[in-house]
This record gives sequence, structure tokens and C-alpha cells, in this order.
Amino acid sequence: MWSTARTVAAGDIVIIWQTRESVQPLLITPGKDFNSKFGFYPHSDLIGVPYGSKVGSRNGKGFIHLLRPTPELWTMALPHRTQILYIADISFITSWLDIKPGSKVIEAGTGSGSFSHSVARTVGARGHLWSYEFHEARANKARQEFSDHGLADIITLTHRNVCKDGFTVTNTVDSVFLDLPAPWDAVVHAKNAMRKDCTSRICCFSPCMEQVLRTVNALNEAGFTDIAMYEVLIRPHEVNEITIPKLDDIVTKLKQSEQKREEKRLRQIANAGKRKREGSSENAVENGENKKAKTDGANVTELHRTSELESTSTSAKGVGPQALQGADDSASVNGAKAVYEVRGHTSYLTFARLAPIADEA
Amino acid sequence: MDEAISSVPMNNLIQSGHTVLFRLLNGETRGLKVDHGSAVSLGRLGSFPANALIGQRYGLTHEIQGKELNILPPRVLQEVEDTDATNELITDGELVQPLTITEIEALKQSGAHAADIIKAQIEQHANYELKTEYSKEKYKRRKEAKYMKAFTTVEPTLHNVCEYWFKKDHNRIRDLRPDTLSQMLNLGSIRPGGRYLAVDDASGLVISAVLHRLGGEGRLISICDVDSPPAYPVMAQMNFAKDIIAPLGTLNWATAQPDYAPAAPQEESSSGEPRSDRHRQRLDRRKLANDALQQTRNELFSGEFDGLLVSTEYDAFEVVQTLSPYLAGSACIVVQHPYQQPLTELQMKMRAIPSYLGPSITESWSRRYQVLPGRTHPMMSTSGTGGFLLHAIKV
Repeated sequence: MWSTARTVAAGDIVIIWQTRESVQPLLITPGKDFNSKFGFYPHSDLIGVPYGSKVGSRNGKGFIHLLRPTPELWTMALPHRTQILYIADISFITSWLDIKPGSKVIEAGTGSGSFSHSVARTVGARGHLWSYEFHEARANKARQEFSDHGLADIITLTHRNVCKDGFTVTNTVDSVFLDLPAPWDAVVHAKNAMRKDCTSRICCFSPCMEQVLRTVNALNEAGFTDIAMYEVLIRPHEVNEITIPKLDDIVTKLKQSEQKREEKRLRQIANAGKRKREGSSENAVENGENKKAKTDGANVTELHRTSELESTSTSAKGVGPQALQGADDSASVNGAKAVYEVRGHTSYLTFARLAPIADEA
Repeated sequence: MDEAISSVPMNNLIQSGHTVLFRLLNGETRGLKVDHGSAVSLGRLGSFPANALIGQRYGLTHEIQGKELNILPPRVLQEVEDTDATNELITDGELVQPLTITEIEALKQSGAHAADIIKAQIEQHANYELKTEYSKEKYKRRKEAKYMKAFTTVEPTLHNVCEYWFKKDHNRIRDLRPDTLSQMLNLGSIRPGGRYLAVDDASGLVISAVLHRLGGEGRLISICDVDSPPAYPVMAQMNFAKDIIAPLGTLNWATAQPDYAPAAPQEESSSGEPRSDRHRQRLDRRKLANDALQQTRNELFSGEFDGLLVSTEYDAFEVVQTLSPYLAGSACIVVQHPYQQPLTELQMKMRAIPSYLGPSITESWSRRYQVLPGRTHPMMSTSGTGGFLLHAIKV
């Protein structure tokens, strides 16, 4: 698979981590440069650097992290040719299908190869993955990619419509994964490919309930057992240091503010009296200023709320409370909450087991 | 790559000494040791000689008949025909089942097959014909689960074993549900040949999982809190062959400290004349154990491990900080905890340290559906949590 050496070498595929949202693969090619808003990096500068290093740019614009690819990072970084599978589904499917070192596995279709890389890593050199893709251009791209990633011995990629033509092996594989628009058309073919001397397993990946129902019928008719259907999602949580202002503090502040306003009012009345005595009358101004003072008070509170939401380990502590008089004892806690928008549905995972054929008594 | 299929791997056959998971028709799963010459007792279902099961393939359904086991065909879903029947005319609480317990016992004693008992019950059931077809089907299933002496042997996959423990005693495995466990293994990028560190206070579930994914190649050092290698209860159901356990080495929190010195001085074993052959043997054994310990310690201290998996009762930050110096650049760190707060604190502390890249907290959510023809819906009850995960990359 990918390099397991300690340091980066020419020809390696590395993962460039710029931010959590910007993770991309890079083939280290001496003579080429990597350019981004985080700076300018000649590939030759990256050779010999240990994996996991933080590298500063030549032009001082920033830094990047050089990571060793894993199938999980690859899933974050890969060029999308199709809709891809993510870790929640990949890991659950791997678990239910009992994919492990030495397993023989079928997947159809190959798609962008997100699942393929994960399976290849898990089955290792003693296992094998037969991958089928009916879209010829995508099949060729994936074949090239697997070969570039040193997976040619583990993955056999065939350009084929498995619903029509079936698979290239019989009574061989421990598990089958079908990510097809009409998996029910491939169920009987899958059964032919699966081993019968011990339990083998199948998973069909379909976004729609109607597809699940047809698949379940096909699996049942083909003699599969223990049909089970799952949804798995991952909820990421964000962690923030949140300040919790004391009620006492805001009471004090409000009182102070009222006191100030009152003092100002009295001052203004005094001034107005003076001005009146001097022959001018501008009551409108007085009213306007009074209103403005009120709004200022509200703004402080609002700013405070915003800082709670955006706070990180360093930013929030004190911003709000210290702006208030005598508010040194406001508490702060580390809080976690689910992020605002999360993936709500990927696909339904329909699993079934093919029981072994018993020995002749 | 189209080589002939090898013979059935030994682990797919039930062997003497295996702890076998038996799934009963009512969905309950029991784990029992199957030893040559002994009897396997499944409570209400009765018992049968272990020898009838040894050598059989995992995953078959058997029915106990006297002292024999009959293999039943795999169970498939029953297509149910929709009718106009409703429960309109069925009243709660009415006595509808005139077949008394005594009569049922008599039928059982006479050696009647489960199917005959159920048939007799249906014939006597006052309202059976009023039921919808779905309801009739459900009734038959329930009675089958009650009277059929059948079970399916569950293959000892990591998923099945984790599910078994999760149902049996989720506290002992720190709420690690199969989906969460699977995410730990993927986020940890466990692969055959890799070298990993693990801290497992989850009854050996994490250790078993990593060993399962190493497939006998690579290295796993477990850091535990007892002075000799712990018994990992979860490992019993995995029925690992010797070669699968081979990558496992064990240190405890004391021996994992660089300044650790054994309480008994080293020289005792090497210098001085042994008093007898037995004494010499004892000294030799002691030296062997000591050498193995030193070797494992050296291995830990020379570092460059590919990943760290943690599910611990101890302070997670201390655990991560203690072991992260031994991780290679770009190694994966995954910490599981049943409670969110400790991981929240851990994330806060880790993100202030530049050698941890992108520490993130996630929670897995999973839901199972009942899939029966015409009756597909999410299960009415589901597990609320599989614990929380924090993962990061060592840089």
C-alpha cells in the first residue's frame, strides 16, 4: 500500500493537511512545486522530512502538515468521481461483514474507491478484493489509482456490468458489498460467488427504502438468512470554553447603568436649565441621548453572547465578564455540542448471511 | 488469484474448548463452553452432548431431539398475504386460550413435536381466525420461540462478540457498541503488520479487536493496571487461535515507566549456585519472564508505533501524554469514553499542544430496522449510546 517508511521519499503519495476542511493528496515529484494560500513549497523540500512533520513555506505565508495517507484520510482527500462512502458506513460494513486480514471480498461498483482502499488495508496481502465497475472511464481511472497506490496485487478491478454478467469468481468470497442502483439484480450472482463451506455475508447499500424492500425480497428468495437493516451516522461535536456570567454581575451592571443614566439625566437637566437661562431650548437632543445610552447597554450584552458562541480555549475567557465591573468571578466551563448541520442520511445498509451448507451426514 | 478454495479454516468449525454463542429463537444469545465429552445445557431447551456439536460448522441451525442434534434449514422470512381482517372484534383480557398448562405439559411429555403443540394451540384459540395475517404470523413465531428446541450457533466474529457483550453487560465493555468499536479500528487504521499501543479497561474488547485486525501479523502492546497480564473476558468468545494472540505483549503502568526497577534485584537469578534442579528451573523461568518484560519495555521505549487505542477508567489526558512520545509521526490516536465530559476536557487540553493535530469528538448513532415483507419500520427500542470517540493525529 502506501509508504511505511519514516520519512517522505520521491514518488510517495502524501496527504497535505492545511486545515480540517482542506486535506489533499500530493504525489511527491522532484522539480514540481506545491502552491496554495498557505504558501509555496518545492516538492524537493519535502523529501527526507519525517511523516507527521509541520513544514513552513518558502515564502513565509504559512505552514502545512505532511501526513502518511490512511484510507480514512484518503476518503477526506480523494478526487470524487461519484458519490462516495464515508467512515460511518465503511467501518460498520467492514465489521458486520467480518472483513479481516486474509478475507476475500467482492465490491460492485468501484466508484471513487473510498471503500476499496479501506478494504484493501484491512484484508492485507493475504486477502483479496475483486472490484467491479460498469463505467469504463471510471474503471480505468480506478485501476490506475490502485496501481499507483501499490494495491495492484490486492485489488483485481474488472470493467463489467455485474447485474447482467455476474462476477468472475465462484464459491470463493467471504463477503460481498453491493453499491448498485439495482442490487436485487446481482443477488443471485453474488450467491454464486460466495463460499458455501462456511458462513458468508452480503451487504447492499441503497439510499431509498423502495430499493431496500426489493433487495430484501431478492435476498429472501435466494435463501439468505438473518436479514438485517441498519442506518449509521456520525455526529461530530464541537468543544468550546463557554463563560457563564453571574447573575449578580449583571444585576450590578444594570444598577450601575441605571445610576449613570440617572446622573446623566440630572446633569442634562442642570445643563438644560443653564441653557434655558442662557436662552436656548433643545429638549429633542436630550431625549435622543437618553435612547442611545440604553442601546449601548444592550450592545454589551449582545457582544457577550456572541463571544460565548465563538469562544475557543483562549479567546472567550474574560472578554465579557472583565468588561464588567467587579465580575472577576464569572465561571467558565468546557462544553461540547453537536455541530449545527450534520449528515442526516447516507444509505440504508441491508445485511444478510448465507449459512454454510451442512456436511453430508 | 483464482486459487482453489482451501479447506475450511479451523476457526469456522466448532472445536472442543471453544466458547460458543448460541442464539435461541426468541433472539436471546448465550455463551457456553463446549468441551469434549461434556453436556451442553441450554436451560429450558434441555441439554445435548457437546460431541454432537464439535466439528460442526459455525452458523448452522440445530434442533435438539432427544440426545441428538438435527440440522434445520436456514430460516427465511414468510411472505404474508394481506387480508381485510382487523382487531375490531378482538377484546382484551378475554380468556381465548383454553389449552391449559397441564395439557401442554402432557403434550410435551408424550413427545409431541413443537409444531404439533402449536397446531393444537391454534385449533383451540378462540380468536385466531379473527386475527390479521400479520398477527397470526407473529403469534406462530412467538409460540415457535417458546416450544421449538432450536438454536443457531453464532460465528465468533468481532461484531457478533461485541454485540453479545453489549446486550449482556454494556457497562463492562464501557458501552462500546459494534458501530463505535468499528470506528475505533478504522480511525486507528489498524492493519495487518502494524504496531499499536492499547489501553483497555473494557474487559479486553479493544485488545481483542486489534488482535482480530492484525490477523497474527504486527505488534500490540497492552498497558494494563494489574501486575500480571490480565484475563480478558471478552477474548473467551473470540476463540482465537494461538497465532492470532502472538502479537500481544503486556506491560503495566509501573513497568511502562522509563525509571521502573524491579523490586527483586536482577542478580538473584544469574549469580549464586542454585540449590537444586527445581530451584534452577525456578530461577530460569524467572529470568525468562524478566527478559521478556525487559524486551517489551525496550520495544515500547524505542517507539515509532503506528497508533494508540484507548478506553480507560484513568485520566485520558495522562494516558495519552504518557504514551504519545512512543508514537510515530502521523500515528492515529483514538480514545473512547462512555461519558462525554472527560473527552471534552481531553480535547481542550490536546488542542493546546501542537503535537496533536485536529483532535475531534464524535458520537455514533445507529438504528436497526425490522425488515419483514409489508412490515418494515425502525425497531421500537434502540441503544441510546455507544460512547464517544476522540481522534487525533500525532504530529
